[in-house]
Order: sequence, then C-alpha cells, then structure tokens
Amino acid sequence: MDRIVLVAARELRAERRQPDGVVAAVTFIAVLVLLESLVVGPQIARDADVASALFWLALAFATILATMRSFDRELEDDALEGLVALPGGRDALFGGKVLSLAIVLVLVATIGGVLSLVLLDLPVGLPAHLLIVVLLGVLALPPIVVVDVVLALRLRARAALVPILALPVLVPQLVAATRGTSAALTGDAVGALSWAGLLFAFAVVYTVIGLTIVPAAIE
Amino acid sequence: MIETTLPRGNVLPRIRPWLGIAAAASFVVASVMALFWAPTDAVQGDVYRILYVHVPLAWLAYLAFVIVFLASVGWLWTKRPFFDAVAVASAEIGVLFTGLFLVAGSIWAKPTWGVWWIMFVMYVGYLLLRGLSTDFSRRATRAAVFGIIAVIDVPIVHLSVLWANSLHQLPTVLRAAGSPALDSSMLLTLMISLFAYTLIYAYFMSARVSLELARQGRLWTQT
Amino acid sequence: MRTMQSSASLHDATVVMDDRVILRAVNVVVGPGLTLVRGPNGSGKTTLLRALAGLVPLARGDRRLSGDVLYIGHRPMLLRGLTARENLEFFARFRGGDTHAIDGALRAWGVGEEMDRPVERLSAGERRRAALARVETERVPVLLLDEPFADLDDAGVTRLRQTIARAREDGRAVVVATHAHRELDELAGSQIAIDDGAATAA
Repeated sequence: MDRIVLVAARELRAERRQPDGVVAAVTFIAVLVLLESLVVGPQIARDADVASALFWLALAFATILATMRSFDRELEDDALEGLVALPGGRDALFGGKVLSLAIVLVLVATIGGVLSLVLLDLPVGLPAHLLIVVLLGVLALPPIVVVDVVLALRLRARAALVPILALPVLVPQLVAATRGTSAALTGDAVGALSWAGLLFAFAVVYTVIGLTIVPAAIE
Repeated sequence: MIETTLPRGNVLPRIRPWLGIAAAASFVVASVMALFWAPTDAVQGDVYRILYVHVPLAWLAYLAFVIVFLASVGWLWTKRPFFDAVAVASAEIGVLFTGLFLVAGSIWAKPTWGVWWIMFVMYVGYLLLRGLSTDFSRRATRAAVFGIIAVIDVPIVHLSVLWANSLHQLPTVLRAAGSPALDSSMLLTLMISLFAYTLIYAYFMSARVSLELARQGRLWTQT
Repeated sequence: MRTMQSSASLHDATVVMDDRVILRAVNVVVGPGLTLVRGPNGSGKTTLLRALAGLVPLARGDRRLSGDVLYIGHRPMLLRGLTARENLEFFARFRGGDTHAIDGALRAWGVGEEMDRPVERLSAGERRRAALARVETERVPVLLLDEPFADLDDAGVTRLRQTIARAREDGRAVVVATHAHRELDELAGSQIAIDDGAATAA
C-alpha cells in the first residue's frame, strides 16, 4: 500500500525536522541504563537477563514516548483531521504510523543498544542473532502502542492511560524479547531464534488486527 | 448508523428473580458441599477446600473476559447499544471476580500471579478507558477495540509466561481440577460450584445489563 | 472536472456528541455551484460540514457522495515539521494526483516566499492561505469550506472570492459556512439556514 508509505514518509520527514521524539527516547534509555548500573551495581547490571530486561522495558517506554509525541504533533493545528478527511486516510494512518515508528525505534534501539553494551561492558555471544532479535522485537512493539494512543487520543490523563493500556498487552512481546536478547548474549542460538520467531508472529498478528479494527476507532 | 431503539421484548426483568433464587440456592448447596460434604484431602487437609472457590473464580474471570470480547465484536459489527451494555457489565463483574481470585489465591497458593494480575490490570484499563470518555458512541468503540486486543492477548500471555518460567500458576489450578487423583465426590463438588458461580454471574449480568439499557434509554429519548 | 457529477447529501442525519444532539434529522442536498450555510454560533454549521465530510459518525441517517470531498476547517490542518509545500504535496499524492500545480498555487496565494519554511514558522494568515491553496491543488468535485475568510487580509479575501467563483464555474459543488460576506449571496445557487441543529433551505 503506497499510501501507507506516504504517511510514513510524511511522519519521518516531520520527525527529522523536529527530532524531539527520537531525542527523548534515546535520552530516556541512556538515563535508565546509567541509573541501573549505579543502583544495582555493575556486577548485577552486567547479568544478561537483567540487562536485557531493562533494555526492553526502557524501549517499551521509549515507544510510548515516541508514539505520543507523534500524535501530539498531529493534534496541533488539527493535522490529523486533514489526513483522516482524505479518502482512505483512516486506513493508511495505522499502517503509516506503525511503519514510521518502527523505523524510528530501530534507530533508537541501535543507539540505546550500543550504549548499553558499551556502558555495561557486556560480552555479546551471538551478534547476528542479537540483531535479529532486536529488530523483530522492535517491530512487535509499535502496533499495540499505536492502537492504545489512538484509543486514548482526546482523553484527559492520556499520558497515564496509555502505559496502563499498553504494558499488560505487551507482556508477551517483552518476555520474548528479553529471553531472546539474553539468549543471544549468552550464546544460545536455538533459544535466540525460537524467541525471534515468536516475536515475528506477534508483529504480524498485532499488525493485522490493528489494520482491521483501528480505522473504526479513529475520529 | 447506530441503532437507537432498545431491544423489544426485554425479558430480563422477568427472568431475574428466578435467576437470583436459583443462583442463591445453588450457591448454598455448593458451599455446604465444599465445606462439609467433600472429603478431606489426604495430603493438604482441609485447607485445600478453597479450591472450590478458587477454580470457579478463575473460570468466571475467563468467562467474563470472553463475553467482553464477544460483546465488543458485536458492537463493532452491528453498533447495537445492547452489545456495549453487555461488554461493560461483563467487565465490571469480571474485575470483581478477578480481584477476588487474586485475594483467594494469596491465601491458598504460592504466587507467580503474573497472568492474573495482567488480566486484572486489563480489566481496570478497560474501565478506565470507558470512564474517561464522555461521548457514548466513541466510548463504546474505544472500549470495544481495546476489549478485542486485550482478550486476544490473554492466551498469548499464558503461553509466553509458561514457556519462560518453571513456576506457573495456571497448570497448578487446572491440575487440581482435572487430575485423576481427584476423588469423584471432590469432582462433583467442583462441578456444582462451577455451576453455582456461573448462575451468580448470570444474575449479576442480567441486573447490570438492565441498568445500562435503562441509562441508554434515557439518553436516546432525546433524539 | 466539468464532466464529473458533483454532489453530496445527508438524509435524516442526526449527530450526537458528548450526549448532546448537535444535528437533528438534517436533510441537505448539495449540488454543483455555490451553497451557503448560515446560522448563529453554536448552531451546528461546523458539524454539518464535518458530517458531509465524513468526519463525524451519524447516530441516524446517512450520507451519500458522488465524488471525493475536500474539507478545510477552522484550523489549517497542516502538519508541523513540514513545509507548506510538503504538506500540499502529501495531500496531492495521497489522492493520486500530481504535484506540479503546487508551486504556482502557493505563489498565487501569497506564500511563495514562505513555501519552504516549516509551517510552525508561518503566521496564522499565511497558514490559512496555504491551506486554501489546496482548493486548486486538489481537484476534487466537492469543496467544504468552514469560515474560510478567517485570518485573511483584504488581498486574501479577494483571492478567496475569486477562487470560489472559479470553482463554481468549473462545476464543483462548493459549500461555504460563514456568518458574514453577504456579497456571496448573489453567487449562491442555494442557501441553508441552520439553527440549533435544524437545517432548512433558505
């Protein structure tokens, strides 16, 4: 669907000129990683499970931040309405936002990930597997978060509501991503790939569900 | 287009008293059986009896969730306010029973309540989402979309928590319910308990749905 | 454009928002030419146009269109972080049209110098003019303009009147909601008066 690509391109272009979403997300991850190594001590922080869990929790919040920023920008001057008023606008909105956020998150995850590896001095058992797990994990997060931000769009207290709605639903993704990352760090190839497969399934299922029902919920 | 007329032939007010009596009666029977009639467990003694509360509560938590899903689909498909009424009723009753389940569980079994807490939080999120919306039709649609996503997520959460942990809560509960080591009288007590709790659910549902339909009626008579 | 039939209509349309009835059983048919919608503030003018645009769900009734609609509302509806030109290019491409008319249109509307500046750095009047340029860059048969004269200086008002006249000559269905600008009355093929959610042909 090239309309989805058009919406994604529009989003990315706006983000490039106003990169506050990306900046906030990367800063958030960096702060969290630093905080963690200070609070629990470098020994525990370097544990593969702990480091993975923290990374993915941080990334989940980063996704929420970036998505909310994206839609806040849409609400300024009613830009969202301009898009929704176009024929096929509602249908392309979900796909376009998910695609653009996935791209932004790949960037955020890469920077945040490299930062974590360096700051925590983590040994990486299987770099290729790590890349696959992180990539698929990043694809699995935006569909849910975009749905929740759309649902909470014109409500009060949406900054609090979106995490409440999104995080329980994201638990399977976060479990799979954490286990997969941990497996890749410690050299468990089979484990890493099976979790990666699961992440791919999540990404597909939630994207399909979102594409089907979200247009009805957009106003 | 939203169907604005109430369902004709609303039988709920007539059935409800009977449903209430049946629910109360079977609850008394089930409780008596659970407390006195069912034999004492060889291994766990009398503490195990909370299973007769625990398992039905789990069953209701799931049932209520599934009903929210079906009603959500019903609303999105037909836009009939009746489905929205069923969804909110089931969510409110569901959050109550899931909460009770968590309380009962903390008395009886070891924790790793991850899954159930997640369901509880999803129920709460659903009700919060509704609570913050002001407009009837948008609230119903928002809630329906979230209801569908949340419920689809629950089996996925179970599976992933299962795979990831060696301790898991669900099989413990199911094992207790379906194990061949379960005495036949224990099984019977459990079945009766499930039946009683289901009737209680049905009674609460009929009351709550009627209330919601009445509220909707007051709204739509303006138009 | 001239050969395309252009019309939009609402039949027995009722709109409820926040549990208040905004439009009551509205019947409106809009055809080629200029239709003016007049009514006091809060009467439902904006909701009527938005209902025609498909932006609000109808509690009762339905909407029929025989072509695409361009709705320009109170706010500019342009995405910040993008320039005026990029915004209009997005809209044109999304509709499957081409983008070669954009530069000329933006220049004609007096935002030629500003078209490559991000829209958050334009004044309210410049944003309004950039948004109105869409009338020329998106060649759709039905135009819904809600209080389009707001934030315009004299040159802008003249330009808008010319644009409306030209669109009307092109056979497009132009609906303008406004509470002033009586000079449009002579161009208007029909008028709709709306008060407290009830619409009548005037």
